[in-house]
Amino acid sequence: MADSFEAGDREAMDDQAFAERIAAPLRAPEQAHPSFEKRLMDRVRMEGPALYPAPGASPTSWWWTKRVFEMSPMKALAVAAGVAAIVGLSGIAVGTRIGNRGGEVARAISPTAKPDTIQLVRFVFVDARASSVELVGEFNEWTKGSTVLRLSGAPGVWAASVPLTPGRHEYAFIVNGTRWVADPLAVKSSDDFGTESSVIRVVKPGNSET
Amino acid sequence: MTGFSDAELVALVLNGNVDSFSGLVRRHQDSCARFAVRMLGSRVDADDALQSAFMRAFRGLRGCKDPEHFGGWLYQIVVNECRTYASRQRRREQRFPSSSAAIEGAVAPGSEQEVDPDVGGHIERALSTLPTDQREAFLLKHVEELTYEEISEMTGVSISALKMRVKRACDALRGQLEGVYNG
Repeated sequence: MADSFEAGDREAMDDQAFAERIAAPLRAPEQAHPSFEKRLMDRVRMEGPALYPAPGASPTSWWWTKRVFEMSPMKALAVAAGVAAIVGLSGIAVGTRIGNRGGEVARAISPTAKPDTIQLVRFVFVDARASSVELVGEFNEWTKGSTVLRLSGAPGVWAASVPLTPGRHEYAFIVNGTRWVADPLAVKSSDDFGTESSVIRVVKPGNSET
Repeated sequence: MTGFSDAELVALVLNGNVDSFSGLVRRHQDSCARFAVRMLGSRVDADDALQSAFMRAFRGLRGCKDPEHFGGWLYQIVVNECRTYASRQRRREQRFPSSSAAIEGAVAPGSEQEVDPDVGGHIERALSTLPTDQREAFLLKHVEELTYEEISEMTGVSISALKMRVKRACDALRGQLEGVYNG
């Protein structure tokens, strides 16, 4: 037993000494890229006011009022009020699809649907006081200006259609060029750190989940 | 922002002074950079992972229950984010590009050069061949010098499993670096 223990002990010490030799050079400090802070803070300043509004800052849009919407998006569109954002889907090759709330997609599946069909997702944003609305998300690498919503007839109803592959996509709106707005009705991403992002899950035709 | 504690900076951000986040960034970015670069073997990927991790931290700042220990909370996010990026690297079957002159030229150099670059290169290449979980465990234990208890709390992996990962990592590294260090 003693010999066995000593052999094991020696082995552990050898491992420790070896690991130390390997690790020592890896402990050399690293520096973040000189532009790291600026790039990060550009994003922070864009999202920050919506996430952490200063005390006393008065909301400028009905987006900031807490509301519970029970009506369907189509009804909401019909009355053009009370709905923050609606995501409608239409399959390019498979006919009409309509979403209910953001991310929770009700589907009308065509028998001709193909599993990998790209979905045309319609994002609708309602705010009569907005002068411009843009859509940013993983699908356009969060690039401001790449997806601009257009007024779609009814006053204050902004819309754009984006082709998306089946799967999970995070997104947000930018109102009036500067204000970052997450969709309050959308499914929230669930990570371990309380991050709340707007999420839409585009389903494959014929599947209940992607 | 240098006169504020982490907890004070967190409180400022939560109260609408989002520029205060820059104080937290400045204070913690380099310490996180070392782990990210070693874990991902690429300063470019490390930069991406850190940007993503810091934004997650910013967005989830209300979830930081103990702002006095913001650094540890952030580090946990960085570790998780690097694990995700490492998985993506595996999927792309990327080779470690740490010796790429183009990439190295585009990023800030390390402030110290204590090691024979050939030996350092051997170590980085050997490290890059380890499975992600073994590389992570080895780096956290022997490079970041955390205790097994701290690593377990951070990763949710049991201490015995972590010890096994570190042991396997050492064995694999020893096999690959035998010619460099002669055992």
